[in-house]
Amino acid sequence: MRYGTYLVPAAIVLTLGSLACKPPKTAEQIKAETQAAFNEGVQAFKDGKARGTNPYLTDKENPHKMQGWYDGWDKAKADKDAADAKAAADAKAAADKAAADKLAADKAAAEEAARKAAEAEKAAAFKKAAEAALKTIHFDYDKSDIKEADRALLQGIADFMKAFPAAKLEIEGHCDERGTNEYNLALGNKRAAAALAYLKTLGVDEARFTTISYGKEKPLCTEAKEACWSQNRRGEFKLK
Amino acid sequence: MTRSFIRTFLCVLAATGLWAQQTEVVLTATSSAKLVLGMTQPKASGLDDATIAAEFTAVLKRDLDETGLIAMLQERLPGDAAAVKAWKEAGAQWLLNVRMTRAANGDLQMEASALDTAAEKGVFTRTYNANKIVPLRYLAHYLADDLVGRLTGEKGVASSRIVFVRQTSPGVKEIFQVDRDGAGLVQLTRHGSLTLSPTVAGDGRLAYVTYKGGAPEIWGQRRKDGPHERFYPTAGAGGMLSSPVWSPDGKRLAFVQGDRRGNSDIMTLDLATGRVRRLTDGNGINTEPTWNPNGNQLAFTSDREGGPQVYLMQDDGSNLRRLTGEGQYNASPAWSPNGAMVAYVSRFEGKFDLFVYKLGEGKAYQITTGVSTSESPAWSPDERRLVFTSNRFGSSQLFTTDLSGRQIVRLAEFAGCQSPRWIRGR
Repeated sequence: MRYGTYLVPAAIVLTLGSLACKPPKTAEQIKAETQAAFNEGVQAFKDGKARGTNPYLTDKENPHKMQGWYDGWDKAKADKDAADAKAAADAKAAADKAAADKLAADKAAAEEAARKAAEAEKAAAFKKAAEAALKTIHFDYDKSDIKEADRALLQGIADFMKAFPAAKLEIEGHCDERGTNEYNLALGNKRAAAALAYLKTLGVDEARFTTISYGKEKPLCTEAKEACWSQNRRGEFKLK
Repeated sequence: MTRSFIRTFLCVLAATGLWAQQTEVVLTATSSAKLVLGMTQPKASGLDDATIAAEFTAVLKRDLDETGLIAMLQERLPGDAAAVKAWKEAGAQWLLNVRMTRAANGDLQMEASALDTAAEKGVFTRTYNANKIVPLRYLAHYLADDLVGRLTGEKGVASSRIVFVRQTSPGVKEIFQVDRDGAGLVQLTRHGSLTLSPTVAGDGRLAYVTYKGGAPEIWGQRRKDGPHERFYPTAGAGGMLSSPVWSPDGKRLAFVQGDRRGNSDIMTLDLATGRVRRLTDGNGINTEPTWNPNGNQLAFTSDREGGPQVYLMQDDGSNLRRLTGEGQYNASPAWSPNGAMVAYVSRFEGKFDLFVYKLGEGKAYQITTGVSTSESPAWSPDERRLVFTSNRFGSSQLFTTDLSGRQIVRLAEFAGCQSPRWIRGR
């Protein structure tokens, strides 16, 4: 007993002393450990480990490590969720935009097609009107007077020019084969000019016409008979 | 006795000529005033007789026939001095000897001499040197021209050429050149459009009208053998343009410009300055100008008094007077190279015939007659013949005629020809 009387207090003193001598952790250390545990937690989430696998659950001595690991895992999860959500939102937005663009493009295409159709229709109408109006007129031998029968044709051409203010015409003067090449060029010019003058009296701006003479150089028909000559003595109207 | 013998002989000659060239000579007539030229077989080295016969003797014979001045007499008689009497008996007034030598490099030398069989002395001698690219037929042309020159004082036109317009496809006409005997066709323009009214200056420069840009433009050569360039209008459109004609000095072009009121006027363009001057008064049609040889007057066609008639004026537009009297339609005047005559066409019963107005006499003579039409007369440089177009064998082809209208020859068988011009070849 006697020895115990000394030993026990000595043991107590040693124990307490040893306890008292273990230095407490500093705040810096705790922070570093918490950060390390946090990083581990992040890595654990990235590696696909469950939240329950926190290795520090049993380390009751260092609760900050457990907490740090949980924080890391939770943060990683939150980040991932946020990123997923954002990607989803972006994808949706992109899809929406593409859909909207397509709609707009379809609409524009439809409008363009409609416009083209309208233009084609207009062009067809113009062409049809031109075909209907631009009839060849004829002249007597060595004459450039507008014939009575051709006045209605010229009126038709004037009406056409008024209906289509952008239209421009070339008036061609032609002759039959009788007579010299050069005199017939001058005569063709006179015939084109006669048609021009008549159209001017019908109220069409003469600046919308050009005249050209082909004399007897471009006959429609080459037989030496009146039926052929009368076809060749003509004024033609060509769109420019 | 001798004379009647020659005459009989010439009738036979004419008949055989007609027979041999039936497709070529439409109508021929010989006059006893022709000089009879005896010709011996040419002596040649380096050439065979068949080539000489086809490309020299036959060509020379045709050239001389068409002059209407010399008739060739071919007999199998020797050509030496001893045989001169025999040639004279046979009817030859001159005796022609030709000697040809073809050198190893292809160059050809030809010596030609002619002897008067009555006086028995030389009347002509000349040596010709031709580089190998010159065809043999050209030597025949040169010799024919020089023989005519010796006889008349003015060189012949056998070596001359015709420039003309020909349709190459519908709506496309181009300018061509052919030798006076119908050989050697050359295309001078390739615009692929209507190309009309050629005119050739004394030095060979060409001018014409082309529709290549849509509207007519006057194109031509500023210098001999130079490129073809646009003369008028320099910018924009010039209205109706036709009938460019070089002045005799080659410095100006007369041409025709039509306005939008239907008038067409004779203009002149000074090539050096580009200055354009209007000579007629904007009253109806004025066209087809042709210069007199001095270049101070022009003849032209105008409808100012109704139908087309030929008028004359100074080159400033003054002193206007009407030339043609009879006929409803007189056009296409061509002033002769010596200035004393104006050829033109006149319409009668729906077809055209050639006429020549003699300015000294104040009278017109009809050259062609018949049911076919004859158009676009142009003078030969020696003023002895006219080239023209006619449809007597169908489509418009080139013919020449003497001034009597009795010797009409088809120049070539090209169809669709118009506006011939006759120019010297050398």
